Amino acid sequence: MTLLIGALTLGIILSLLALGVYISYRIFDIADITVDGSITFGAAVSSVLLVQMGVHPLWATLAGFLAGAIAGTVSGILQTHFKINPLLSGILVMTGLYSVNLHVMGRSNIPFLGTVTLSTYCEKIGNIVFGGNEILLMGWTVSTTDLMTLILMFLLVSSISLVLWLFFHTDLGTAMRASGDNPQMIRALGGNVEYYKIFGLALSNGLVGLAGALWAQYQNFADVQMGIGMVVWGLASVIIGEALAGTASVVTAIIGTIIGSILFRQLVAIALSFGLNPNDLKLITALFVFAALILPNMLSKLSVGKRKVAL
Amino acid sequence: MNNQQSNANLNPAMVQLTDVFKTFNAGTVNEVRPMQGVNLTITEGSFVIVLGGNGSGKSTLLNAIAGSFMIDTGKIELNGEDVTQWPEHKRATLIGRVFQNPFSGTAPSMSILDNFSLAAKRGKFRGLSWAHSSNLQDELKDRVSELKMGLENRLDTAIGSLSGGQRQALTLLMATWLKPKLLLLDEHTAALDPKSADQVIALTEQIISKEKLTTLMVTHSMQQAINLGDRIIMMHKGNVLHDVNAHEKQRLRIDDLLSRFENVRRRELLDESVADLLRLRYI
Ligand SMILES: Nc1ncnc2c1ncn2[C@@H]1O[C@H](COP(=O)(O)OP(=O)(O)OP(=O)(O)O)[C@@H](O)[C@H]1O
Ligand SMILES: [Mg+2]
Repeated sequence: MTLLIGALTLGIILSLLALGVYISYRIFDIADITVDGSITFGAAVSSVLLVQMGVHPLWATLAGFLAGAIAGTVSGILQTHFKINPLLSGILVMTGLYSVNLHVMGRSNIPFLGTVTLSTYCEKIGNIVFGGNEILLMGWTVSTTDLMTLILMFLLVSSISLVLWLFFHTDLGTAMRASGDNPQMIRALGGNVEYYKIFGLALSNGLVGLAGALWAQYQNFADVQMGIGMVVWGLASVIIGEALAGTASVVTAIIGTIIGSILFRQLVAIALSFGLNPNDLKLITALFVFAALILPNMLSKLSVGKRKVAL
Repeated sequence: MNNQQSNANLNPAMVQLTDVFKTFNAGTVNEVRPMQGVNLTITEGSFVIVLGGNGSGKSTLLNAIAGSFMIDTGKIELNGEDVTQWPEHKRATLIGRVFQNPFSGTAPSMSILDNFSLAAKRGKFRGLSWAHSSNLQDELKDRVSELKMGLENRLDTAIGSLSGGQRQALTLLMATWLKPKLLLLDEHTAALDPKSADQVIALTEQIISKEKLTTLMVTHSMQQAINLGDRIIMMHKGNVLHDVNAHEKQRLRIDDLLSRFENVRRRELLDESVADLLRLRYI
C-alpha cells in the first residue's frame, strides 16, 4: 500500500512534467529536450533556496517554476530569434544547464536532512487532519504524511490543470494553440508566432521546473543527474494519455496526460517490484516510446494491406 | 482626364507599390526575380482582378503586400502608411487573406468556433479574456447559417473535417469578420470543384459589395475575370504588363481579353510562349 501511494504521488508530481511535454510536443510540435535540464534546474534552484538559504518551501517551489521558465525562454529565443533547429536548441540549453546546475548546487547531490520542505508541512497537516502518524486505510496501515502528500499533490495538480485549461481557452491561449496547428494562418490573423513559441516553451519548462522542485522535496534530495531521460518519460505519459483519452479537446488531453503519467509510474513500480533492474529503466522507457511512435503507422499499413487483399 | 483626377481624389490610394524589387535565392542557380520594379496603385473600394501565367509573380505580389517576406528595394504603402518594414502579423491589422489551399487559412484541429475567435481578434491584442464570448457565438451562428451549409449547429466540429468548399467559405468569412482595409484572395477557388467554386465566388461577390472592400483577387478563371471586379491587371515576368480600368472593363468580353493576349504576342514585347501559356490556362 505504501508502495502504491508512493508511486501514485510520484506519478502525480511528474504529471506536471508530462503536461509541460504535452505543451511543447503536442501544441507546438517540438520535441523539446530542454526538459532534461530544466527539471534538474528547478530542483537545483529550489533545493539551494531551501537548504542553504532557509527560504519558505512555497517560495522555493515557485522559484523552481521560474527557473524552468527561464530555461524554456532561452530555448525559445534560440529557436525563433536565432533560427536554430528546435532539437538542437534543446540540446544546447540542456547541455549548458548541466554546468549551471552543478554551479547552483555546488556539488552533485544535495540531501534535505532536517530541512523544512513541503514534506514537512504535509507531515504536520497529515497529523492534524488524521489525528496521528498512521491510519488504517482499507485494511492497510498507512502513514498520514504519505497520504497527505498524495492528497495535496493531487489538489495542486488539479488546480494547475484547471488554470491551464482556462488559459488555453483565452484569446492568448487559443492563438498559441493555433500557432502550433497552422502558423501561416495565425500570422495572417495578426498572431506573432515567435512570441507565442517563446511563451509556450517558458510555460512548458516552467511546469517541468516545478515538477523538479516538488520531486526533490518528495524524495528529500536533489541530484544533478535526476533529469536524464525525463523528456522521454514525459513523452511516454503523453502517448499513454492519448491512447486512453483521445485528443479531441484540451480537457481530454490534459486529463489523459495526467492519467498517463500516473499509469506509467505505476507500471514502472510494478516492474521494479518484480525484479526489473533499475539500470534498464531508461532503455525500456525508450523502447516503449519507440513502439508507441511506430505502432499507429504500422497498424494503418497493416489495415491498408488487408484492404488491398480484400479488393 | 479631369474626371479621372476627381475620381482619384474621392478615392485615395489604399495600396501603393513603388519600384518594388524582389529576388529569391539570389546568386544561385535557383535565382528567380518575381518582382522587377512593380508599380501599382489601388484606390480605396476598388476590386482588382490579377491575371497572368504560371510563375508570373501573382502570388508573390500578394505575399509582398501581406508581408510574408520582406522586399529587397522599393516601398509599400497601405492606407497611407509606409508598411515596408512591418512584419506580417502587424500588417494583418489591415489585411484579410484567403489562400489557394483550403488547408492554409484555418487551423484544422481546432473547432469552427475556435477559428472564428481568432479571426475576431485579427490584428488586435490577444490577452486573457475568454475566447468564446457569447456575443461571438451568437453572431457566428447567424452569419454561418447565412452560408446555408448547415454548419451553424456544428460550431464545435474541428474545421479540418469539413470539405474544401466549406473551409474556403469559412476562411472568407474569417478574413472579413473584422472589416479589412484590403482583402487578398489568391486563387481561392482553384482547389474546389466547380459547384463549390461557384458558391464561394457568389459569397465573395456578396461580401465585397456589401462591405465595399478594397480587393486584390488572383484568378485563373476567365469567366471570373470578366464577371467580377472593376479592374484587371495582368502580370508577366514580375511586372504589371497590362491594366484594364473600370471603364474599359464594362464592355470587355472573353474574346477581347484573349485578343489582348494575342496583341501582346504580336507586338513581340514578349517571347512567344506567353500567349500560349495564357491561352492554356484560361481556355
Ligand atoms: N518564397 C519563395 N522562395 C523562392 N522562390 C519563390 C518563392 N515564392 C515564389 N517564388 C518563385 O517566384 C516565381 C513567381 O511565383 P508566384 O508564386 O508568384 O507565381 P504565380 O504567378 O502566383 O504562379 P501560379 O499561377 O502558378 O500560382 C516562381 O518562379 C516561384 O518559384
Ligand atoms: Mg500563385
